Amino acid sequence: MSKGHVHKPKNLLMIVMLSPYLALLFLFGVLPLIMAVINVPSKSPSNPNGGWHVFKIVLHDFRLVPAMWHVLGFMALFVPLMIFFVVAMSLMLDTDTAPWKKWVRLAYIVPACISGSVAVLLWYVLLEPTLSPFKGVMHFFGITQATQIWKTSNLTYILVFMAFLSLAGQWILIQFGSLQSISGEILEAARVDGCTQFQLATKIKLPLIRKYVIYMGVLVFAGGLQIFVEPQLLNSSVYHGIAQQWSFDQLSYSLAFDNGNFGEASALSLMLLVPSLIGALLVIFKTDMFEDVNFKSPKKLAKEAKKREAATA
Amino acid sequence: MSIDFEKKAPVTPEVPRKKKRKLSIGHYAVNGWLIFWAIFSVIPMLWLILAPSKTDRQVSYKNPLSFASFHGYVRAWKNLQDFNSGVLAHWVINSVTYNIAIVLIASVTASLAGFVISASRIRFKKAFLISTLIMMLVPPVALVIPLFIEMNKVNLIDNPLSVILISSLYPFGAFLSYIYYSNTIPPEIYESARLDGCTDFGLYTKIAFPLSHPLLALLAFFAFVGNWGNYFMPYIMLPSPEHYTLPVGLGALFFSTPAINPGNGATSVPILKPEIALAGILVAVPVMIVFLISQKRLIRGMLAGSIKE
Repeated sequence: MSKGHVHKPKNLLMIVMLSPYLALLFLFGVLPLIMAVINVPSKSPSNPNGGWHVFKIVLHDFRLVPAMWHVLGFMALFVPLMIFFVVAMSLMLDTDTAPWKKWVRLAYIVPACISGSVAVLLWYVLLEPTLSPFKGVMHFFGITQATQIWKTSNLTYILVFMAFLSLAGQWILIQFGSLQSISGEILEAARVDGCTQFQLATKIKLPLIRKYVIYMGVLVFAGGLQIFVEPQLLNSSVYHGIAQQWSFDQLSYSLAFDNGNFGEASALSLMLLVPSLIGALLVIFKTDMFEDVNFKSPKKLAKEAKKREAATA
Repeated sequence: MSIDFEKKAPVTPEVPRKKKRKLSIGHYAVNGWLIFWAIFSVIPMLWLILAPSKTDRQVSYKNPLSFASFHGYVRAWKNLQDFNSGVLAHWVINSVTYNIAIVLIASVTASLAGFVISASRIRFKKAFLISTLIMMLVPPVALVIPLFIEMNKVNLIDNPLSVILISSLYPFGAFLSYIYYSNTIPPEIYESARLDGCTDFGLYTKIAFPLSHPLLALLAFFAFVGNWGNYFMPYIMLPSPEHYTLPVGLGALFFSTPAINPGNGATSVPILKPEIALAGILVAVPVMIVFLISQKRLIRGMLAGSIKE
């Protein structure tokens, strides 16, 4: 095909087809951030003259440090527990292909439908010694009163278990799926070389699914940092005052809707966005998770193609 | 990008296996633990499904995993229907209509975006992909306050359009579509169709769309699962009870009835634990059914672009 016959794509129609998504991406992905930045220096009760030092005011808010310790404590337990448990379970599931494991996998997905308000309802029941399906176990350990469990000092553990049980099952299946992408020949060669199941799991499979584990780690970390629904519902509906401004997002919500201080709320939201953005950029550029995605511009691609052609000529 | 669960490493057929492999204690321990965790995983859902069969008193004193009667479900349903002049029906209708709108808008816009990026040579492909990946990896909760400020500026607070439009931004769907079209339709097909006089829109309607049914099912699945149980966004954007979705309505039942907190005082219609559990079933069971039917899709989608055939 000669150069003169190459049909130049009419990009205008393509851009029209892309525009609904682009409009949504701009309106609800980019614009809110711009509005939050604009809103930060606005006048508020704590910042009567307005200005950017609102970030400093937020950092000095007496509720920020307790919220930070709560969330850090939550993350310190939740993230490693999730990663260790999910990886261990998916490796255990992958030891053989027994047909009954299909049903086990189905069972693991069930808690994934229990999130938000339903999770709060179920955890209230599970941890209430008079209602719980596990009340026999609880009575065995001397837990007969709800007050022995539902107290602020236990909240970190309660929230870790709530989040862990809601998410672990689906991640086990996802990591199990990633294990299926490992070449059969590699596994067979390792077996022929005398690898035990444990060695196969830790020395062959685990390094090969590393990028999926990092991907999970980043999503779990970013999600955990933004914990809101569970402590908010527990605090407002189940045990009043048990989790007052417990997490960063609750504090941000309280600044906006209880104090009417949208400047401080925006500043806190923007600060919280930074770790999530760093995590996202790390996954995109520092892991090979999205290695198939072609980030190169058409110009660069054309240049590379020309270079290849010249080299082969 | 698809994964077949049942296909495993080909075992060398030449080696005859006369003896059945002897299973070690470790193997039994691992299998025992896997089964234990499976049972533990379904117990909470089992409680939720069985609780409305009992009366409130039976919920506290009967075996938590026992079944009482079908009449219990009917009674709990009637009480829920009568609560606040039938507001539950509004919540169900809201949840269904918002989700239909979200699934439709999100799937169509994401599918078109993925197609354009894979089939065209537009200039801002790199910026598009990076911003889409960033949006995909940043938790939606992070943007809720900025989104509230934006919606407030355009007077869309307490208007279902706010939740529908915000939730229709579907970066994960756009990325999934891009991977799908890139892997299933070679660029040469588009080129030859263009030479035959096909317009860009024709490329989508005549080539890409007829091949998109598995993709559209995947997009609809993830859009539904991600939005049906969503609490935070509708909770912030839609303060009026008549605009609540089912998850927000369930939260409202917690703090407006004595079901969980007896300190709230009695309501005109008895809304107690069986009624609350039935409302919980309405939120959790549709997602569970979709999950159980399509668990393979969930995994394929979550690992889109990173697992090869």
